[in-house]
Amino acid sequence: MAKILIPTALRQFAENKDSVEVSGTTVGEALTGLTTQFPELRRHLYNDEGKMRSFVNVYLADEDIRYLSKDATPLKDGDTISIVPSIAGGRA
Amino acid sequence: MITVENEPWQTMVRHAESTFPKECCGVMLGVDGVVKSVVPLPNVYDGAQEDFFVMDPKDLQRVDEDARRAGQSVVGVFHSHPECDAYFSKRDLANSCPWFSYLILSIKKGKFDHANSYRADYDQTRADKEELVY
Repeated sequence: MAKILIPTALRQFAENKDSVEVSGTTVGEALTGLTTQFPELRRHLYNDEGKMRSFVNVYLADEDIRYLSKDATPLKDGDTISIVPSIAGGRA
Repeated sequence: MITVENEPWQTMVRHAESTFPKECCGVMLGVDGVVKSVVPLPNVYDGAQEDFFVMDPKDLQRVDEDARRAGQSVVGVFHSHPECDAYFSKRDLANSCPWFSYLILSIKKGKFDHANSYRADYDQTRADKEELVY
């Protein structure tokens, strides 16, 4: 089992849980397990085509999965996945 | 609607003025749309910070963890527009996250001028101004 930390802004869509234990052999399977368990989370993380929204970053421990194997990044027991949005902007 | 208590408001204004003429950024913590505290964060954009900011996701992750332990939530983010009005720019929209309120402080000649708060949609195509009380 891996643990997914739920961002505080999204806890209301996950029965106010701080974290959720999920099974899966990859990060993608774990995230699918999360959104199956809490369907309301799905639209906050994925667009209508099922692609992860551009502002959503997923980390396995401290590594951005974009720089690992993305959804296919393998998981082992006790791993922790974090969901962290990108925040940027400016006056121009 | 977002309400900012006095102490976090003063902290945001001081941070925005002290980083002028560069853009500042930070996170607003609270409950039910009321900002109880703010955490100023470094702007890690490696280009001209006078018109752009980037928040380090690791900083945001750490603040979110701290908020969780304190029984609060990240309710919004703030940044400044130096020598510019507090509108939601194209770059703000292109980089927006709809989970949060976006509070923008206009800083002119190094001093606070005005502020607005916005919520963006999920497709990053529009942002609506929300009532801001401080």
